[in-house]
Amino acid sequence: MSGKRPIKFKILELFLDGNEHWNYEIVSKIQDEYNMNGNFYRDSINFDIIELASGGMLKDVEQEVDEAGIYKKGFLLHKYVITDFGKIRSSDACLRYV
Amino acid sequence: MDLKALKKQESKRKISKGYMWAFFCALFWGLWYLPGTAIWVLNPFDEMSSAIAKTSGDNVSLVVTAVLITAFNALAVMLALMIWNGVLGKYGELVRTLKEFKPCSKWFFLASIFGGPMAVFGSFIAMGFIGGAFSAVAGLLYPVIGSIIAYYWYGEKISKRAAIGIGVIVLGGISIYGGGLLTELSSGNAGNVQWIGYLGGLMAAAGWGIEGAIAGKGLDIAEPDAGLTLRFLGETIIWWVIAIPILAIIGFPMYSFAIQAFEPLTLLILVFAGITFGYCYVTWYKSFPLIGVGRGQGIGNLYGFCAVIFIFLFFGDVPAWTILVGGTLCILGSFIMFTEDASALETLRGE
Repeated sequence: MSGKRPIKFKILELFLDGNEHWNYEIVSKIQDEYNMNGNFYRDSINFDIIELASGGMLKDVEQEVDEAGIYKKGFLLHKYVITDFGKIRSSDACLRYV
Repeated sequence: MDLKALKKQESKRKISKGYMWAFFCALFWGLWYLPGTAIWVLNPFDEMSSAIAKTSGDNVSLVVTAVLITAFNALAVMLALMIWNGVLGKYGELVRTLKEFKPCSKWFFLASIFGGPMAVFGSFIAMGFIGGAFSAVAGLLYPVIGSIIAYYWYGEKISKRAAIGIGVIVLGGISIYGGGLLTELSSGNAGNVQWIGYLGGLMAAAGWGIEGAIAGKGLDIAEPDAGLTLRFLGETIIWWVIAIPILAIIGFPMYSFAIQAFEPLTLLILVFAGITFGYCYVTWYKSFPLIGVGRGQGIGNLYGFCAVIFIFLFFGDVPAWTILVGGTLCILGSFIMFTEDASALETLRGE
């Protein structure tokens, strides 16, 4: 698909359904869609999520230890939800606001 | 390991990484004043300023030379950031971000107007007219401008703590500017006050403050690596497509001197300037999500100290005591202003 949007736009779009999502779900969706395989891109996309959270657009609502190694064994998994500010910034970015 | 211990470990890792990025920012930013000062005495820039001085006077020649220096600086930074994006595999993201002009990349181009022709150009003018240490320390006033703009534009509140910090920084500013001015005025040659150099220092502070407020609008929804490259792409266009052709049409020998910059030593210094300035921007933004914008900026402002120390080590210049006192006050003020309570580490922008 051509005309992909920047990764942070896509992350916000995925969160605009209003549901809580685990970071590994979002990261693997983006990796598939943007064809960005490998651990380097995985960490880079995850850092985008951290940046969005630190900018107040996403909120870290739950953490869990990755016992099974679904993302990074022995590290924390984070669950995020979009904030009101995140919704406003998303609509600035011309993302559809459901 | 249990959840609590892991959380602690993760936040520790984040904080130490964040401080590392911010410290690298201060180091790179401070180092930038070395090539920035040295470039003035290298070919073709020294020949250019003396050639133009013969026909147009000293002040005009220094300002026109500063245009060419800033233009090469912008080009070098853009190239350094292009390499950085290549290493990170981010060309795709760079193009995707560029295409989002209305919501995103327009902010980077707008920021480049204030960052380039105002802040960086002002810094070079201050370096050329007065000196590297003055230029570095004068730039430390940018948080004052930044927070005043944020107050009027985003309606961001200025806390009591921030207000005290601003007060301390302003005192520092008075020391930086007042000290130099008084010395020049009392030495009896009031006609020779380097007003343009002082204006350059003010341009640096105001430009960086405005740039930060504008660029922030785009950077929070873009990857900083891509966004910052676009910011310098914008500055490169301003200088090479607009400013230099205009000056050439007016009659300044811009192109003939620009071509002469392709000398090994000059290129080496320009590469050094590009790397230090480009990576100080990148590391600055990398620190923000990890330790907060406030701490990131507070530590980043240690660049003032780094610059004074490096200039002393490499050029042997000891700045006037008023600049040292002023710089110390500015850095102290930025720590007061930015280091809010610890809970701010969790989320930076309250809901």
